[in-house]
Amino acid sequence: MYGWVGTVLRVNLTTGRITKEATDPQDAKRFLGARGLGSKVFSDEVDPKVDPLSPENKLIFAPGPFSGTFAPSGGRYEVVTKGPLTGTIAASNSGGSFGPEMKYAGYDMVIFEGKAPKPVYLWIKDDKVELKDASHIWGKQVPNTSDALRAETDEEAKVACIGPAGENMVLFASIMNDMHRAAGRSGVGAVMGSKNLKAVVVMGTGAVKVADPSAFTAAVMKAREGVKNHPVGGAGLKAYGTDVLVNILNETGALPTKNFRDGYFPTANKTGGESLAETQLVRPKGCYSCVISCGRVTRVANPKFASSGEGPEYEAAWSMGADCGVDDLDAIVKTNYLCNEYGLDSITLGATIACAMDLFEAGHITLKDTGGLDLHFGNAESLLEATRLTGQGEGFGKLLGKGSYRLAEAFGHPEFSMSVKKQEMPAYDPRGVQGIGLNYATSNRGGCHVRGYTISVEVLGCGAKLDPHVTAEKPQWVKIFQDLTAAIDSSGACLFGTFGMTGEDFAAMLTALTGVTYTLDDYLKTGERIWNLERNFNLKAGFTNADDTLPERLLKCPIATGPSKGEVNHLAEMLPEYYKLRGWDENGVPTQEKLKDLALV
Amino acid sequence: MRVKYFANIRPLTGCLELEWTTPAQSLRELLQGLAERHGEPFRRRILPEGRLSETIIVLVNGQHILHLDGLDTRLQPEDTISLFPMVAGG
Repeated sequence: MYGWVGTVLRVNLTTGRITKEATDPQDAKRFLGARGLGSKVFSDEVDPKVDPLSPENKLIFAPGPFSGTFAPSGGRYEVVTKGPLTGTIAASNSGGSFGPEMKYAGYDMVIFEGKAPKPVYLWIKDDKVELKDASHIWGKQVPNTSDALRAETDEEAKVACIGPAGENMVLFASIMNDMHRAAGRSGVGAVMGSKNLKAVVVMGTGAVKVADPSAFTAAVMKAREGVKNHPVGGAGLKAYGTDVLVNILNETGALPTKNFRDGYFPTANKTGGESLAETQLVRPKGCYSCVISCGRVTRVANPKFASSGEGPEYEAAWSMGADCGVDDLDAIVKTNYLCNEYGLDSITLGATIACAMDLFEAGHITLKDTGGLDLHFGNAESLLEATRLTGQGEGFGKLLGKGSYRLAEAFGHPEFSMSVKKQEMPAYDPRGVQGIGLNYATSNRGGCHVRGYTISVEVLGCGAKLDPHVTAEKPQWVKIFQDLTAAIDSSGACLFGTFGMTGEDFAAMLTALTGVTYTLDDYLKTGERIWNLERNFNLKAGFTNADDTLPERLLKCPIATGPSKGEVNHLAEMLPEYYKLRGWDENGVPTQEKLKDLALV
Repeated sequence: MRVKYFANIRPLTGCLELEWTTPAQSLRELLQGLAERHGEPFRRRILPEGRLSETIIVLVNGQHILHLDGLDTRLQPEDTISLFPMVAGG
């Protein structure tokens, strides 16, 4: 095979049996890899009603065809499972160089089944694959785990592991690779912890074969030039990182503030990418084969929070910043480090603390409930302590570790949770940006921006320039973004490539790499097929159109201040048209015609 | 009116924001006035050849000027004007 390396590794953790299978060429062609192929295999093999934290759930690590090639930012992989936070199919995407290393070792996918009787890690060195005892590193944080595993395997090995949060089955635990990169959302780390699997360590000396090397080189060079010449891909992200978005979302009036009580944070500038570049940034950093370098190597000099590490991204800076009413960037950066060290999803962590602060200020929880932790909005010290308690699984942190929905529900006020399908929404207020609300409501993994990033066309003016406050045309854009994103994710590419690359560029690279012809239409249809596959899994898991909604606060409570003052989200105006465009019935169920058209029946 | 600068526009102006008190009926007048104050690097970045750069985002009271009247957008003394380069992320 070209692009794919041809082998799937299956590891039964209950029995310790390790087997190898051939990658199915037809499935690979139709679902690409990573999120798509992983979801295909997962939905074929796992009962949608499975308890996510039971041995019957499976956990799949999968790079895509581009992973390990020199396609721009082609270093991604996905972790596919049923997410314990949401109960939906989960595919969490991460960069770094772990995904490419899996390809060099010779694997398109590693499928974990069952549950190990004691803590283990998987050590892959090309053909040699073994489960090894992990008792000595159980309980260790991500940096110490990664260092210890490289020391006992190979200094050049790539490590994906969980920290204490995953071991404690915090419902939004992440899987961390290359120390600072996260397969963050939906609790994939908790599934890993439930299986007593501490880490996957991989070292490969093989290569990815290319069907048409000269055509691939030409397509890659064209795509790289596109990114390098784009104002965002070529310079903006490298200079300021993704956190540059704080100010433009705030100036638009769509920066969710204090658990979405508002959409404008008066001191937001103190937490933005410009401030980060001035005070904490050491240098930009890119993932494997990256031409953008949006990553931030950072250091906090302030003795109160002194530390060093990477990040934060925009979403983390928002969740720990404006959403918690905190404008101390040193505290935010330090909190982000804690997330990386414990292995916590930085979006849900911050948003859950914001929810707790909201409940606290409303009097629904008290100092007695929090163990003395003062959770007023804006309290940076409490933000840090709440994060530590969550990572360690101590005291009030045990409740925080269940995410905002279960936390708010425990105190009788689930309406305080700013989540969709129990996953917290990220840093764009759907009252100020209509289309992103439709994307949140229909996302196959609950509240999530990277399933259909309409912010590009609604706020940033990349690709098209739509008025964020109107609903017209938004359903079709949401569908296009969702389908294209599913294809890009499944290719093993980084979404940020779209800041300079077109859908045709992705299709041309994929064609030359794999030898399978993909037009732009083929590529988009592949994304649509993957979207419908995920949707079908969720429907079988018990989700209905009633779950395609937003918190009541966003539908009924107008933004209080700022440029979007008075706005609410008009989801009901968009959802029926979206279903229609998708070829689904009025209940959001894909029709037989649509499934036939996508070759899903 | 209040003018706010962001990202790599800031080094061209030497400030985060300013109060603009010279009368300006339209956004075009305001930007020309700002170019006079901040000098040639600012003018080249914002108004190359007298046109608004395609890689600049201008908001008037939080609304993108493409959804208003572009450079002909009428301004009031109480307005807030925000200038960004094209940025993205997520």
